[in-house]
Amino acid sequence: MKFKLLCCVCVLAAALAPPVLAHHSFAMFDFNKTTTFSATVTEFRWTNPHVVLLVEASPKPGAPVQIWSMELTSPGNLTRMGWSRKSFKPGDRVELQFYPLRDGKHGGAFNSAKLLATGQVLTSSLRDAEKPGLK
Amino acid sequence: MQGSIRESTWMVGVATVVAMSAATAAFAAGDPEINLPPQPAEWAALAQLPDWSGVWTPTLKDQDARMKSNPIPWNAAAAAEIAKLVAAEKAGNPKGLFVNCLPEAMPSWMLITHNALEFLFTPGRVTLLGESDGNRLRRIYTDGRPHPADPDPTFHGHSIGHWENKTLVVDTVGVLPETYIASSEAIGLPNNGDMHIVERIHLVGPDTLNDDLEISAPHVLTRTWKTKLILFRQRAKKYDIVEGVCLQGNYSEGKDAAGNAVFVPALQSEGGNTLPEGK
Repeated sequence: MKFKLLCCVCVLAAALAPPVLAHHSFAMFDFNKTTTFSATVTEFRWTNPHVVLLVEASPKPGAPVQIWSMELTSPGNLTRMGWSRKSFKPGDRVELQFYPLRDGKHGGAFNSAKLLATGQVLTSSLRDAEKPGLK
Repeated sequence: MQGSIRESTWMVGVATVVAMSAATAAFAAGDPEINLPPQPAEWAALAQLPDWSGVWTPTLKDQDARMKSNPIPWNAAAAAEIAKLVAAEKAGNPKGLFVNCLPEAMPSWMLITHNALEFLFTPGRVTLLGESDGNRLRRIYTDGRPHPADPDPTFHGHSIGHWENKTLVVDTVGVLPETYIASSEAIGLPNNGDMHIVERIHLVGPDTLNDDLEISAPHVLTRTWKTKLILFRQRAKKYDIVEGVCLQGNYSEGKDAAGNAVFVPALQSEGGNTLPEGK
């Protein structure tokens, strides 16, 4: 039922969407500002050129729940950093740290996420993983 | 009916013999218009080339630093346009150069990509395959052919190469004037034609490969720009190159009315950022 509702929202959103564009600069994010909140994963899109993590959160206590979109690098790059398409699943509770969109929309560039169930921390900085011969 | 079948079979047979004779004659004469079948010695000779196997990833820290220490020598008109792009980016409204998912192309693939690539050696050719944007592919002919007199412009141009000791020297012309010379995914301009690129690709350590580039683009640069791409190697099988189709990011997975698995357009901002649906 929830999925059907999502689909409907999807189709509606598609009808309203501007021309779709994929491979973009990350300058739209404010890398001088870090936002942190606890969230629940709703969807993990393991797609090129940018993997997307969708979460549900109340950014401020008592505020209504909102869906936020986190962008990451490509599946290939993330794979080489130990990620997989199963790194997140819907329902996972996470503590999320990200660089917000500068226009205030509900999106950001992913920085890190701690899976609250296991304590595992996932990061995605390519520059911190520039080493040959990684196992 | 049978007669006509026999007749056509006979004609095909004659045509095949004639074609084979022509091909054999061309091979024997060393016809430069024919791709000769590789001989065992040519396959064996590949083993003498330097070992560029594995997955090669660009060093982003070096990309960041190099664009500051060795900036692109834009001419005055281009520099004025670049200043506007820099201002737009600083204002948080970057122009996405590659948001349409056309190839990063030459030379930007060798300048700003964040994605891995691999090299394939076969007789007469070196092939580069890039990970993302399913269309990243360069063919560098090493069979001694010249550039065509008037090549059809393409995203990656026409590349010919030769080995100088352990260095592959590549000469590229015939690149589409629309392809960007870029310092980031938001800062760059079309090369505007007549671009000529010379590369010297060589190992500088066991797992470090350099592509030394010399880019001449007379309509936008004041001089030949010399720069470098540094790649590092990974060998773990779990890091093998994966398929990457740029346009896939424009869609999410959904179902149609009949329950088929289909791609549904994803909601994105003008700048290409994926937004949550309904927001």
